[in-house]
Amino acid sequence: MKVLNSLDALFQEIDIHKEKNISFHHHLRNGDLVINQVLEKYSAAKVKDIELFPSSIFPSYHMIKRLLEEDSIEHITTNYMTGPVAEYISYYGKEHLVTMQTHGGRARAIMEGKNQIDVAFIAAPAVNHKGDAVGYMGPSKCGSLGYAIADSIYAKKVVLLTDYYIEEDFDHVEIQGKNVDYVVRLDTIGDSAGIVSGTTNITTNPIGVKIAKKTAHLLESFGVIKNGFSFQSGAGGISLKVTSELAHYMKEHQIKASFFSGGITAHHVKLLDDGYVERLYDVQCFDLEAIDSLRRNANHIAISASKYANPADPNQVIKDLDVVILGATEIDLDYNVNVTTDSHGVIMGGSGGHSDTASEAKITVIVSPLFKGRLPIVKKRVTTITTLGQHVDVLVTERGIAINPLRKDLLHKCKEANIPVKTMEELYLEALRFTGEPKEAKNKENVIGEVMDRTYQVIDQLYRK
Amino acid sequence: MLQHADVFESDAVIIDLEDSVVIQKKAEARRLVFEYLDKFLPLKMEVYIRINDPSTPYFLEDLALLDPLDVDGYVLPKATKETLDIVTKHTKKPIVAIIESAYSVVTLEEIAKEKQVSALLLGAEDYTTDMNIERTVDGEELLYVRSKLAVTAKAFGKEAIDTPFTAKDEEENLKKDILRAKNLGLHSKSIIHPNHVDLVNQLMMPSPALIDWAKRVLKKKEMTQKGAFSLDGKMVDEPVIKKAEQLIEEIKKYS
Repeated sequence: MKVLNSLDALFQEIDIHKEKNISFHHHLRNGDLVINQVLEKYSAAKVKDIELFPSSIFPSYHMIKRLLEEDSIEHITTNYMTGPVAEYISYYGKEHLVTMQTHGGRARAIMEGKNQIDVAFIAAPAVNHKGDAVGYMGPSKCGSLGYAIADSIYAKKVVLLTDYYIEEDFDHVEIQGKNVDYVVRLDTIGDSAGIVSGTTNITTNPIGVKIAKKTAHLLESFGVIKNGFSFQSGAGGISLKVTSELAHYMKEHQIKASFFSGGITAHHVKLLDDGYVERLYDVQCFDLEAIDSLRRNANHIAISASKYANPADPNQVIKDLDVVILGATEIDLDYNVNVTTDSHGVIMGGSGGHSDTASEAKITVIVSPLFKGRLPIVKKRVTTITTLGQHVDVLVTERGIAINPLRKDLLHKCKEANIPVKTMEELYLEALRFTGEPKEAKNKENVIGEVMDRTYQVIDQLYRK
Repeated sequence: MLQHADVFESDAVIIDLEDSVVIQKKAEARRLVFEYLDKFLPLKMEVYIRINDPSTPYFLEDLALLDPLDVDGYVLPKATKETLDIVTKHTKKPIVAIIESAYSVVTLEEIAKEKQVSALLLGAEDYTTDMNIERTVDGEELLYVRSKLAVTAKAFGKEAIDTPFTAKDEEENLKKDILRAKNLGLHSKSIIHPNHVDLVNQLMMPSPALIDWAKRVLKKKEMTQKGAFSLDGKMVDEPVIKKAEQLIEEIKKYS
């Protein structure tokens, strides 16, 4: 392992024109200052045919757009993208530019050699003299480094970029120094204001509250909220409200969960601290409380994306998941869910762990308003399939609950508990009463990418606008 | 919010054309309400419209457009006997009178006597402004007016509706506010934020313990065949039995 003091020094060691399959993680989100600094070097060197493997793309990653404009990028493999890069690709992307994977699928593809990475550029908030790294310390701390672990083991060369280099050992090493080739010390790797997501507030929106309460009541009626249950919800306001409602129920009935997984927030941490959940399996911290908890609490465990959701990993955490709560931009009559594009086909998201968790959890619940503004959420056919309908069990909206007909057991439980259930067709027609029937997006000629689930199956395609 | 009016499981919804609509938007709001109701009525709950009061130029325009709709009635702000006389000349629909001034309180009987008035609704914000007193969390300043409104409504067979609780996220204080009004005889409560609906529904209903007590009173009455007997160490006679019977009748409407 070599310690260097600049990117220029690094590219004296690495041939920038040969090492063109490059990866990044997105734990620093909009506060990431590494990806742009590295890609500026590729742009300045006029490197062509770059294959990019960022785990996600955030609005601040402007250098990706620059390289696209310079026609320097051959292909992008990622799990999620939003902002100017996503829009640029939707309008100007060349054919088959993008592969949208999942968090578990990306880890698997790296480990099985499908995603071949020459250099993993890993923003590392704290690195020690052995080259070990953690994410929960330093001025640019971000918590778990779960999405970068596979890269750190399987990339041909591993570069840690840090603004906090220390001599001490870490209690819980995330990235092992034995896998690291270079440590590059930079003035700064992140802007802390952009690292912590702003999405971790529990919703007080009346529609969101209504949906969350219905969801919590439904899960209680299913009898799954009992000692030892496991649970995952996203960091969206409605999902967090479901967690908060379930917390009331758990406290009232003295129920202790076995684990919560996925993206972790202060709300999850509070339940761990209060003794209502045994462990948090953290692949991504969403706020400072989560980051600090990861550092101080041994039962708050950082896990890799592979341990989280790689189907080839026999110990993947989500295999034991009882319930997952997920959102939807669109859901269709066959329960397929879209969180990748808007209804015009413009990319504004991606699976992340959506399709991974849906395919493993015993009960997958989608929570969403039936319509947003003039847009119905339930459609005949989603614009883009992110998660196949066969993995989706329940939709909860403010105007009713639909249960996938494949889940006769859940339908039976609803009947027993006297909970009214609507068909997806009924919810679809109800939505149209308010919104009218929207015109379908027409552009389906130029394929700019594909949506791949964690089994490597291509489940849908992305089209240029 | 209009399109979400029927999702919160309140017994009725009041669509406001008065204070929540700025003057330059009055016509637009009125048209929007008309278009919505014209398309979506009937809803699964009662629908009332809070019209502008007769001293404004909007009052007649509100009624001209909306009165043909099949809504359940109007909510009249700053109701007095005098304004009711004007309103009843222009509509035959039921009227919920908002009591929000000292004058309305002292002339409450005149208002309650009006045939078209179906309910009296306390408007505490305007009332406390009129009285130049502070509105507090404990609501002591509303003790008299709440009591008077409840008793007057009862005397004339009208519904008594409590004032909204204005703090959006103070659940414990909301609970106290609901129970305070309920204990004084206001068995309905208006709500300004949809997140309050569940708690109001839950607390305005007779409690499970009270329902259990009423059932046991009636059961013991049937067993003893006496006009007076003791239950849980307390004497039960005709008024208590009547109260238990009323309660059992009341819970039927919730089921």
